Amino acid sequence: MAALCKVVSGLRCGGVRFPSRFLRSSFSSDSSGASGASGSDQPAADRPRSGFAAAFDLQSELRREAEVGETGGSSAGQEDSFASLLRRSPLIQMGPAKDKVVVGRIFHVVGDDLYIDFGGKFHCVCRRPADRDRDRLQRGSRVRLRLQDLELTARFLGAATDTTLLEARADLLGPLDGREPQNRD
Amino acid sequence: MRTLLTFWGKQVSMAARTLMKGLWGLRHSRAATIGFSCGGQHYTTAASIKPPQLQTDDVSEKIMSLPLQKPDFFRVSELFSLKDLFDARVHLGHKKGCRHRLMEPYLYGCRLDHDIIDLDQTVEHLQQALNFTAHIAYRGGIILFISRRRQFGHLVESTAKDCGEYAHTRYWQGGLLTNAPTQYGPGVRLPDLIIFLSTLNNVFQPHVAIRDAAKMNIPTVGVVDSNCNPSLVTYPVPGNDDTPAAMELYCRLFKMTISRAKDKRRQMELLHGLTAPSSPSS
Repeated sequence: MAALCKVVSGLRCGGVRFPSRFLRSSFSSDSSGASGASGSDQPAADRPRSGFAAAFDLQSELRREAEVGETGGSSAGQEDSFASLLRRSPLIQMGPAKDKVVVGRIFHVVGDDLYIDFGGKFHCVCRRPADRDRDRLQRGSRVRLRLQDLELTARFLGAATDTTLLEARADLLGPLDGREPQNRD
Repeated sequence: MRTLLTFWGKQVSMAARTLMKGLWGLRHSRAATIGFSCGGQHYTTAASIKPPQLQTDDVSEKIMSLPLQKPDFFRVSELFSLKDLFDARVHLGHKKGCRHRLMEPYLYGCRLDHDIIDLDQTVEHLQQALNFTAHIAYRGGIILFISRRRQFGHLVESTAKDCGEYAHTRYWQGGLLTNAPTQYGPGVRLPDLIIFLSTLNNVFQPHVAIRDAAKMNIPTVGVVDSNCNPSLVTYPVPGNDDTPAAMELYCRLFKMTISRAKDKRRQMELLHGLTAPSSPSS
């Protein structure tokens, strides 16, 4: 009886996080006895587990199933499938690019124009600001940008496809101060 | 479209010899002996085969046929991984409005109007393209790199120079391939493989060389972005062609493949004692 109470309490405190169907199945099997619950979880076990062992097995199995379901079932079984890489990439996690602040790096300078690469498909071209920061922005310096568009395209009258400028558009906010360690791609 | 042996009508009688000297670039040690295999069939001319060269024929045939016995003889699949392609931003395509209808099978999807190229397909296509390039380079073929992107012109030219091949990153005159004997002189040798690092020219139209290479039966390898037409390219590689990181990756991969294939060829020849009169084995 004490063992049965321990199983029920262990499942109940962990059951808040899990869908209710698990709770219902575990309670219904508990009514038939502790051996029933452990038997359905581990048919291969010789002796029925009870108490903390049964709760631990159930929770680890559920966590494993949740992980497998999250990665989308990659065929090779590796963690770095294209789908998971894409979903976790900062470009996708960022969402729409409008008014997002990112960090870029200047890779080319032509007079007053700074060509800045921030990790998207295209670079953006910003004019060097006329304030006191103008001499700090050289080739290789990191800057903060507010993105407007990742690619400047428009459909013109009579065209079959969009015309693209092969550039992104962003507003220059200033040099990257404060030695931030983050590296937003 | 695969390369076929098609002949112009009046040259059928001297087809084999003309092709050996002219367009196909298969290396042979002696000019008199002409033998090559294509599609499993073996053609030889009626020229007399001198007995002392019989040994050389067997060895050279063995050198030619040995790489064909394994699917990935040059192990090009070890040169890159999906993570490398992802980090080089190869999967990023143009916007939905710029998409070419024929690129839709190669796309993974569209996210907030931006096309995403399926890297699983890209990995397979890139492996096939690199494998083909390696075989061409192994057999001593001429490879021509073409890209009309001015941003990467220097990169492409230096890549070609480093691996000992050729590049054309300037304005393409009309008859460079189709009118070559008139423009360059008789008996000019055309490239055996053309690698397009960007299949569009500066006005976003397909490069003329794609059509001309198809006319001249020259196989092509091309990096096709989501706004390109992949139909006439023999080995299309769906991928980004606008980001410097991606272009540097492609150039590095092609350079490594071609160097690897040429080194392998030199090694095989040394092993079988063809070129050097000194120590045959290494």
